[in-house]
Amino acid sequence: MPEHLSPTRHGARHGERPFAHVAGTGSMLRLALLNFLLNVLTLSLWRFWAKTRVRRLLWSGTAAWGDHAEYTGRGGELFLGFVVVMVSVFMPILVALTAAQMAVEAGNPWGNAFVLLIQAVAVFLAFAGLYRARRYQLSRTLWRGIRAGQDGEAWRYGLMVLGCGLVNVLSLGWTWPWTEMTLARYRLGNTRFGDERFVCTARARGLYRRFAVMWGVAALVLCLPLVTVLGLYLSGDGILESAEPALLFIIGLLLAGGVVLVLALPYAWYRAAVLRQLVAATRFAGTTFHLDARTAPLLRLGLGNWLIGVLSLGILRPWAALREFRFVCANLSADCEPDWSSVRQSAAAAPRLGEGLAAVFDGAGEF
Amino acid sequence: MTALPGRFNDGRTAASRQVTVTPGTNGLDIRGEDGLMVAFWKTADLRADGELPDGAGVRLRCAADPDARLSLAQAEFIRPLLPKPPRFPWLKLAGTFAGALGVLAALWLGIPAGARALAIMVPSAWEKGWGDTLADELERRWGTCRQPAGDAALQLLAARLGAGIAPDLHLNRLVVVRRTENNALALPGGSVLVFSGLLAQAESSDELAGVLAHEFTHLRLRHPTVAMIRAAGIGMAVMLVTGDASGLAASGAAMAMAGAYSRDDESAADAGAVTLLTQAGIGTQGLAAFFRRLDDGPPGLTGWLSTHPDSRARAQAVETQGGERQAPAATRPALEPEQWAAIKGICGQ
Repeated sequence: MPEHLSPTRHGARHGERPFAHVAGTGSMLRLALLNFLLNVLTLSLWRFWAKTRVRRLLWSGTAAWGDHAEYTGRGGELFLGFVVVMVSVFMPILVALTAAQMAVEAGNPWGNAFVLLIQAVAVFLAFAGLYRARRYQLSRTLWRGIRAGQDGEAWRYGLMVLGCGLVNVLSLGWTWPWTEMTLARYRLGNTRFGDERFVCTARARGLYRRFAVMWGVAALVLCLPLVTVLGLYLSGDGILESAEPALLFIIGLLLAGGVVLVLALPYAWYRAAVLRQLVAATRFAGTTFHLDARTAPLLRLGLGNWLIGVLSLGILRPWAALREFRFVCANLSADCEPDWSSVRQSAAAAPRLGEGLAAVFDGAGEF
Repeated sequence: MTALPGRFNDGRTAASRQVTVTPGTNGLDIRGEDGLMVAFWKTADLRADGELPDGAGVRLRCAADPDARLSLAQAEFIRPLLPKPPRFPWLKLAGTFAGALGVLAALWLGIPAGARALAIMVPSAWEKGWGDTLADELERRWGTCRQPAGDAALQLLAARLGAGIAPDLHLNRLVVVRRTENNALALPGGSVLVFSGLLAQAESSDELAGVLAHEFTHLRLRHPTVAMIRAAGIGMAVMLVTGDASGLAASGAAMAMAGAYSRDDESAADAGAVTLLTQAGIGTQGLAAFFRRLDDGPPGLTGWLSTHPDSRARAQAVETQGGERQAPAATRPALEPEQWAAIKGICGQ
């Protein structure tokens, strides 16, 4: 009998790793390539069913305390959700935006204000949509026949994200750890499995040392090229104007790649602390968790996934998702096993249509 | 038959219990470790809920108790009892493919008509605003050629050509810009930019008259505005289908579609130019000569991607249409020699 189907042991030792991921890379690569072919054939309309199949593999490969998770979403739900949002939300917004831009072109003084307003609405919808997408995904996530779910309001979350974004801009980014944890608390604190809620008390305290280093590096790395370009432009030598556009493009590309590489290390260092702190402050039915997120493996995971996405033009992104699932399963531990017999099936209603807003405004849930 | 170890979830709580499963002819006999029966799942009610990936076993459901689950690591004896897993949905796939083609066909036909209908609704002040913004930018970038004698001759020619369509033309800018290409440009809201390269290469004032008649027809039919709306519409449609605004393939398809529509526009403008020239008593020979000199290489694969029809075909069409309307003897040159010379020298060479 494979290890992950072995009998449940109550009162597992502290630091026990109850999670495992058994889906092989080969299965995922085959699925990703098949999906790519079918996407080409159907002018990309297959993508809803493609996403569903990838999720089914990701979910069913995830075992917790010996039992595998289950994804019960259907491609048709995603497709219908997409169509509904496209027609009822996206088209009106696009028409409004086009009209506003035409007004700007025609010199109407109100045009810019309209464009800004519509963009703010679009950002709000994108994040409210992400929250709804999470609600859909969780409602289609089962384990031992019990449905997960998410409470809370998508519009409230969308407004929170808008407010946090504003605060972050005003503080030059220094409120980021605080806003990040605030949003995560709302998401996780409203996450349910069966009738039992997760409890999340994560705070930003303790993150600021790493954040300051990351902020400093980012400021340096982002400012240097900007200052250089600005200097060249203002010096009036015409170097920028006379240079080959292709050469400028290649230099720009190299610069962007360089920025990613230089920023990746401090970012992974910061992110490792965020993930550890977030998981440590999240409880479920009296069980506390621990994520052994270290900088180097996180950096390998992030850069590797970035390369996979870029080099395969996005075709192999499901593989990147698989790597993330494996990382979490391999590094997440629990201090004890929850008393599962006290966790009951919830009668809460699940959404009927899938993540339309997010699919339209954000392309969320890429895998 | 042998009893198999398995794990059972009743679907009411998240507890999991170790069971032994005995497959029989009527169904699965599921018993707890204490030997007491937990459930009996009839064969007809069994649902294969899915093979777990990479041979990790199989998870079963039962129609009579939809939330319960039974997982088995060794599934060889169970599989023959299960309903066949759903086949790959080829039919559904063919359906989406056909649907995609249908959507595409509807868009192909609907977008130009919709753009024309919308263009009529655009306030002319907006149209003029866009055109002026564009034209100012291009004039700033390329530089303009202005000389009183040359400008006067241009306006004279424009008035003679536009006489027949004056109410629909709204020409408010006719400028020569410094560009070496043999070309001219009509922008929304009644702006026409003539490239200096066209003046340098033109051999007679009739050629310039032919090109202006062509651009004026674009303006009369509001082609620049229609093309802008059409481009936006194509982008919107591609986004609708693919859900992705930045797709490379999507923008390629959009460009090909835009090219095909623009070829229709060009043919319409050629036909309108023949009418204008005929009404003004100017021969169509100049326009035909202009097209003949446009050397765009051998017609071939790139034809359906380009924005303009094949030049030789255009020259031929112009000659045929023009010949039917008017005998060459009934025409007089577009401009007097000294007026033509003033336009030729407007950029100071």
